[in-house]
Amino acid sequence: MILLATLCRRLVSAVPILFVVSILLFIALRILPVDPAAMSMPPNATREEIEAARRSMGLDRPLPEQYAIWLGRALHGDFGRSIQLRRDAGPLVAETLPATIELAAAAMLVASILGVAGGLLLFALRGSTAEMVAETGTTLMMSVPEFLWALLFIFVFGVALQAMPFTGRLDPGMQRPVITGFLLLDALLVRRPDIWWSALVHLVLPAIALGLAFAPPIMRVLRASLLDVYHDDYIRQAHLRGISETRILLRHALKNAILPTLTLMGVQFGFLFGGSLLVEVIYSYPGMGNLMVDAVRNADLPIIQLVGLTYCVVVLVINSLVDGLYLVLNPKLRAR
Amino acid sequence: MVDLSRRNLLHAAAAASLLPGAAHAVEPDSATIGWPSDVTSWDPNLRFTPDAQAIFKAVFDQPLDQDPKLKLVPNLITKWEMAADARSLALEFRDDVTFHDGSKFTAADFRWTFIERTKAGQKLDVAQSMRKLTDIEVLSPTKAVMRFDSPAPTVPVWLAFLGSFVVPKAYMEKVGPEEFAKKPIGTGPYKLVEHQMNARIVLERNDAYWGPKPALKRITIEIIKDPSARVAAVQSGQVDITTAVPVREIARLGAMANLSAELNPVTKVILLQVRNDEGFADQNVRLACHHAIDKVALSKAFYGGAAVPVSVLGVPGSPGYLEDYTLPFNPDLSKQLLVKSGWSVDKPVKIRMATTNGQFPSDYDIARAIVAMWKKVGIEAELEVIEYAKYFELNRGGKLPEATLYTFDNATGDPEIYTGYLLNPKLPFSPWKDMTFGQKVIDQFNVADEKARVAGWRALNREAAEMGACMPLLQSIQTVVRKKALKVTTYGNGWVLPQAMSWG
Repeated sequence: MILLATLCRRLVSAVPILFVVSILLFIALRILPVDPAAMSMPPNATREEIEAARRSMGLDRPLPEQYAIWLGRALHGDFGRSIQLRRDAGPLVAETLPATIELAAAAMLVASILGVAGGLLLFALRGSTAEMVAETGTTLMMSVPEFLWALLFIFVFGVALQAMPFTGRLDPGMQRPVITGFLLLDALLVRRPDIWWSALVHLVLPAIALGLAFAPPIMRVLRASLLDVYHDDYIRQAHLRGISETRILLRHALKNAILPTLTLMGVQFGFLFGGSLLVEVIYSYPGMGNLMVDAVRNADLPIIQLVGLTYCVVVLVINSLVDGLYLVLNPKLRAR
Repeated sequence: MVDLSRRNLLHAAAAASLLPGAAHAVEPDSATIGWPSDVTSWDPNLRFTPDAQAIFKAVFDQPLDQDPKLKLVPNLITKWEMAADARSLALEFRDDVTFHDGSKFTAADFRWTFIERTKAGQKLDVAQSMRKLTDIEVLSPTKAVMRFDSPAPTVPVWLAFLGSFVVPKAYMEKVGPEEFAKKPIGTGPYKLVEHQMNARIVLERNDAYWGPKPALKRITIEIIKDPSARVAAVQSGQVDITTAVPVREIARLGAMANLSAELNPVTKVILLQVRNDEGFADQNVRLACHHAIDKVALSKAFYGGAAVPVSVLGVPGSPGYLEDYTLPFNPDLSKQLLVKSGWSVDKPVKIRMATTNGQFPSDYDIARAIVAMWKKVGIEAELEVIEYAKYFELNRGGKLPEATLYTFDNATGDPEIYTGYLLNPKLPFSPWKDMTFGQKVIDQFNVADEKARVAGWRALNREAAEMGACMPLLQSIQTVVRKKALKVTTYGNGWVLPQAMSWG
């Protein structure tokens, strides 16, 4: 009940944030030195035709009026039409969102597994020479941007070893089932393990490329939390009771040390979601990032605006969920 | 709940066994293409998208077609005759063409495509190419006459160019343009099976096609926007053919045993678009700029020497090109011209130059090289990078600098679409706004007689070069890398057509 109330409170407080973000996005896009009316016309259109297009798009009106029109329509689910694709922006973004969520979730899973395992390893190696080597390794992982990992993996696993596919979400010859847009789920729903396997295999390289850079911060925060926790009395008492080191670490210390890590993961998911842009382009992954890159290149303002808002919504929702999870895992907070 | 039936387990086992080379398997009647951009809409009349032209041509038919040497040839239209005044065009159509849904193609579909859709209020780019069209009179299911409000001698060319793909009237009226774009049907050699935006297009052979049957039954087009990923995809065998790979990769990929890598000259021109005012008001300065550019060196440095230097707007072999005219690289002449106008290496003339970065191969590097060449003769250019999308906007506002590095694609090779578009002050392509020359260009659009028309454009091409109204640099090249066993017809305009592919 407390959890539900907290989630509701968080989501309600997200509304004004979303409103402010929409205004900022709207203003930022309108002051860009691009002309959406001209972009919507073929190159050989005359000046008069472009002016007519500008009027029909409402771009000749004052900025507040333009925003009010946009907001009014957006509240009714109409987010405008893509200038480049000449389709409604809403369905376009909705079509690509599941792929990005699937990729970001897989990348988060990679980052979490590596992060937690690496954090435990770093803690176990504390004070040794091997710790310095491991620290250098994590610094290297953080220093390489995700697009570079993406290219590196393509050349190693795609070209040199020819072990992994690296374009799209499925093998040629397989037709994508369209139910929810989440391919792994859809493959299960249509009972096609071959499609599920192909989708999973296609997800491996982009997910690792995207997740790799996010693992080291998790490792470091977890290691630092474990060091803190190990100074607590209950750990000392556990040692005195003769409980094994592994058991103390995994059953007692980790449970408390994981909480700050969880908060970090929530924050990171937002960054990871945004970081998918280049990875999606490199792996021909048909997600929202790929759509956004095209939209920016073509000054497709309705798409840029909606994708920006969607990023904002995703981050707000994830933060609310993490807060809820924090509440579940931390009895002290529930007691307050 | 996953169904673990024997059939599904076999599916999974088959997929797993293919894992390392899942995309490598070559079926004899299918091919996978790595393509650099997606189709923006499956309504082929909606937008002019040169990069999608080859894909559209697989699904839809154009009224007229071009052969590999770009000669206009019959397609859905079997005969065409332009009136002497170029104000009407009589057409005869094939009688044996059906759309993918089995309905018969007639002149009514042609009329729907080119005039009725526009009159119905649909905003289509094809309306721009048919501006002069006032009516299409349907005489019978296989005969029609196009009527124009002024001479329109290049309409046959446009019937094989951007946006000119015939769509079915009955089906489109029934489902509407939005639904049509989701489930398009044409009369082309392939049917669209699947399109996942920004990922994949799957085509299947239309066995009822009226023309030569394509050799390959199934075509998968993987949309791979990143050039490095395209290189990796063809190198690893995940695609059988790809285009637009970096020029520097061609020699390396060509040396591989199973790959063939080509640099093909195409109808795209790389040029400097220039203003006729500000620092370029002086013809001496403009010509000095042009003579100071070593185009051969640019070609060698950035295109492996494969890009042919050009002096006029057009490419070798196109009707408007002047084979016997060259504006030579002559830095000494540049210096002399500058001295005449009071400039020298010690007292350089200052201009601005714009370029895109990444719009076409090595664009920014070419611009920097030109700036360096100019500096040697006494021209100091301040280089700025602009987005390609901003070119038209800046030009409309008169804000382009004296020179802008630009590329222009004209798959038809027709001189009107080169010179007429690039130097028409009324169109947004041209920063040259002087109406003395500009009016000559505009008037040339209305010359009906074909010989006089081409001769007129050739004369204007020479005049433009001699007065420095534009600075054509190179005929652009297209890079194609394919498996050696995959044969594909090379077109002069760079089309890579699925229907022209076969396994050798």
